[in-house]
Amino acid sequence: MGALAIKNVTKSFGDTDILKGINIDIDAGQFLILVGPSGCGKSTLMNIIAGLEGPTSGEVHIGDRVVNNVAPKDRDIAMVFQSYALYPTMNVRQNIAFGLETRKVPKAEQDEIIARVAKMLQIEHLLGRKPSELSGGQRQRVAMGRALARNPKLFLFDEPLSNLDAKLRVEMRAEIKQLHQRLKTTIVYVTHDQIEAMTLGDRIAVMKDGVIQQFGSPQEIYDSPANLFVAGFIGSPSMNFIPCHIAEQGGVLGVALQGEGEPVFFALPERLNVQGRVGQAVILGLRPEQFDQADAGGVACRIRITEPTGPDTMLLSQLNGRDIIARVHPRHAPAAGELCSLVPDLRKAVLFDPETQTRIG
Amino acid sequence: MSNTNGTAHYGFAERWLPRVVLAPSFLLSLVFIYGFIAWNGYLSFTASRMLPNYEWVGLAQYEALFASERWWVAVQNLGLFAVLFIAGAMGVGIFLAILLDQKIRAEGALRTIYLYPLALSFIVTGTAWKWMLNPGLGLEKLMHDWGFTSFTFDWLVNPDYSIYTVVIAAMWQSSGFVMALFLAGLRGIDDSIIKAAQIDGASLPRIYWRIVLPALRPVFFSTLMILSHIAIKSFDLVMALTGGGPGFSSDLPATFMYQMAFTRGQMGLGAASSMMMLATVAALVVPYLYSELRSKRRG
Repeated sequence: MGALAIKNVTKSFGDTDILKGINIDIDAGQFLILVGPSGCGKSTLMNIIAGLEGPTSGEVHIGDRVVNNVAPKDRDIAMVFQSYALYPTMNVRQNIAFGLETRKVPKAEQDEIIARVAKMLQIEHLLGRKPSELSGGQRQRVAMGRALARNPKLFLFDEPLSNLDAKLRVEMRAEIKQLHQRLKTTIVYVTHDQIEAMTLGDRIAVMKDGVIQQFGSPQEIYDSPANLFVAGFIGSPSMNFIPCHIAEQGGVLGVALQGEGEPVFFALPERLNVQGRVGQAVILGLRPEQFDQADAGGVACRIRITEPTGPDTMLLSQLNGRDIIARVHPRHAPAAGELCSLVPDLRKAVLFDPETQTRIG
Repeated sequence: MSNTNGTAHYGFAERWLPRVVLAPSFLLSLVFIYGFIAWNGYLSFTASRMLPNYEWVGLAQYEALFASERWWVAVQNLGLFAVLFIAGAMGVGIFLAILLDQKIRAEGALRTIYLYPLALSFIVTGTAWKWMLNPGLGLEKLMHDWGFTSFTFDWLVNPDYSIYTVVIAAMWQSSGFVMALFLAGLRGIDDSIIKAAQIDGASLPRIYWRIVLPALRPVFFSTLMILSHIAIKSFDLVMALTGGGPGFSSDLPATFMYQMAFTRGQMGLGAASSMMMLATVAALVVPYLYSELRSKRRG
């Protein structure tokens, strides 16, 4: 049974189309990520799911009912906000209890729920404090506790980690994932951070300009991005885009890459299906980790800058006149200014049409 | 420092210039504020009539004051006026602010319209409302001209209700100001708090009553301070609107004092009533100043 289905949802403000026909369908217990740059419509879509805004057209299903005309409080959802949205004049206990009181849950049951949630999130010692007396991470926990107290069918997280510092963000990310594995509820999670999207999601919807660019599992999106935007947005450092032409050499189809010196021919795997495209311009997409250093068989590149990150070293260079980044093992990394032979691993390479920007193989 | 590395003359100017500059205003306020308060205090123990005289009569003026029906009407009016005016202006102002906070169109224009009365002097407000409330000239006449001949609205000339016309005019003047203060406060509340409360199932009145207004406590207290001092010093509005009448039915202590001291030749009685007003204000302000100064010294 589907837990959440969004069918042809559009949203316009005057002449501006914010969402242009969104279709998403996820199963109960799945972790859906809505990811995209600012202004892509992901927060609007979240508000439509929550019922805080209405769609211009289309349907939203939660469970097995259409909720277009159902008020937020009757949708059986709970939401965690970027700014935590704790009620400033109430202490932690009152914050969690407010929704229960509003729904007229008996007092004894309220206490039981608060105790259970506080134990789960380890905020028992904070129950008497005001939000202003809590750290960012503690506020985040309380906001999650308030959502958990409802025990809803659907959890909505609106960029919940954006206001935390880097270390805390990684910790809370792991906790949210653990919570999801334990509770097995359906979660919709909005973020602009592609690392959160990759690490947390079962299903990712990459959005841009009110359109879902690709909807799939994290690995699908990473390995087979639907277009140049998705390929560039997911992954850090982002995918290298190298313009080239399909060529034939000795009965094998491939591309020529040129760094410092003569162009070198590399065969493309048959998977890419480029028969009949000989002579056509394409964009070759290669992840930074799909380069290797080798003594022979590579293309000579002049290294402009090196960026050691510890486990890897990033090499900034150029191929076919375009800046590229290669991720190599630090032990043999060349220094800036040196020549280095890079071998592209084309087994996982992808090709894009430079006109339509979509993937062709 | 100036003694060791500056010239003696420079050091002298540096040390004395602030005192020389401040001295005139210090002297003026010492004489004309505190000196006259003291003089007024002394007069309240004398038998002064038209002009001050120094015939000591002890507490006789205060006894006369507390026996005067007119004084008690003024005191009662002040209590009624202050409570109704503060509660009314606060209620209307908060209500307008909440309505304006619903992301409506032309908010800027509406805000300006509500705020404009504050730009008027109480004299202008009083005169304008005197015309509007005058039965033979304003609202009642208008309704009669429209054919509603049974309509009566004569509060302005009715001794039982005249003080309420002062409340209406003062509320009209100050509600927009309260609205502006609370609107600024409402704008400071995170939008997602209201969204969270909606998802929690709270109705809009409950959201404002339980979450938003409690968060505006500081705004509430500053507004209260401002409105109370407007209420206590009210004088010009009453003078322009009702002149304290009909009879003395809408007198406030300030107008009582003015009448006694300057038009009815009862200077001793007027002095005594102003001492009572001073005592009232001091009872409110001194604890406030005390707590302010103490926290500053500690800080």
